[in-house]
Amino acid sequence: MNTQYLSIAGFVIKLQSESSAELTLEEGYSPFIISDYTDKPDVIINAINGIPNYLLEKNNLLFEAKNEEQNFFSIYRQDTSYKIIIFDQKNINEVQQIAILNNELTEWKVYCKEDYTNKITPLLYPLGPIVMYYLTVKFDAIMLHASGVFDNETGRIFSGFSGVGKSTMSAIWQKTGSKIINDDRLIIRKNNKGYTMHNTPMFYVDIPKVAPLNSIYLIHHSAENTIKKLNGALAVSRIMAHCIQHGYNNNFIQHHLEFLSHLCNNISVYDVGFKPDISIVNFIKEHATAIHF
Amino acid sequence: MNIDELFKRKSLFAFRNVGNEKVLVPIKNNIANMTEIFTLNEVGSFIWDKIDGGNSEDDIVLAITNEFDIDELTAKKDLSDFIEKFEKIIS
Repeated sequence: MNTQYLSIAGFVIKLQSESSAELTLEEGYSPFIISDYTDKPDVIINAINGIPNYLLEKNNLLFEAKNEEQNFFSIYRQDTSYKIIIFDQKNINEVQQIAILNNELTEWKVYCKEDYTNKITPLLYPLGPIVMYYLTVKFDAIMLHASGVFDNETGRIFSGFSGVGKSTMSAIWQKTGSKIINDDRLIIRKNNKGYTMHNTPMFYVDIPKVAPLNSIYLIHHSAENTIKKLNGALAVSRIMAHCIQHGYNNNFIQHHLEFLSHLCNNISVYDVGFKPDISIVNFIKEHATAIHF
Repeated sequence: MNIDELFKRKSLFAFRNVGNEKVLVPIKNNIANMTEIFTLNEVGSFIWDKIDGGNSEDDIVLAITNEFDIDELTAKKDLSDFIEKFEKIIS
């Protein structure tokens, strides 16, 4: 049995395969590999080489992740599990993997397309982020489109739709000495002391990072720096729009609403218009309150 | 749209109380629409809870006047604004 362990955002993922094919990971996962783990993992992923024909049946469609150009993956309901068909992004008519997730969201069977390399890569994009998403809905966490920075005292998250300046904002904070946790995707976890933000494996190599979360900013470009505190339902609804989620299951939606209502009750949330220069750093420090636990 | 029709449509939303307010997530074809999330203020949230399949519009107006110390005319307008808002959201 080939086995590997990953620790992502504090979640432990056990990968295993009985196949003779080599169990591999995309390079962004390498820093997240851990060794000598003996406790129960949070999720087990069984990697299987080859896709049986019977799994290609498409019944009980729940959700399709697609745009006008291509279909990324489709989720189907089975009796005691979910079936996710993931399409090859370079050859959209080909199935890259079929993943079966049990109802308890604790164990996956990932059937991977056989190829000439005799390697098996169960977390091949986009399945890696999909696995992380289901970890967040199983536990006290969410995954968010956002950039996050930490200045050794305060952790700040900047979120918004594509093009609002999430990467620009984190790069500006980096210039003033803050560390970028990630500039695209973060997992937020709740713990006894408060909230933490974590990076996740990306297409490039980066070490695992974690920082406390003390304030959240929903940003947009503006001629002048502006700030307005958001409270209650409005804050929840604004952040909810940027959560990564597959909204076909009411329990998952309720999980997000519950997590965010607690989060917004404990962390300050602001709407921020910003000029893309260094003035926004002091502006935020002067006008926003970051909650420290 | 009358109050009974609105009650039947409540299942088209996932919702959660946040303090005295509510967040509503519309669900279309079993998929939540995360780009059109709505919030209800305290009065709207109260009205949402009172639409339970049993209360009539008159019952709800009376409940509003009792809860929020406002006159009947204002309560009727609040309810009619609420129904109008939902007609737009659902359509």
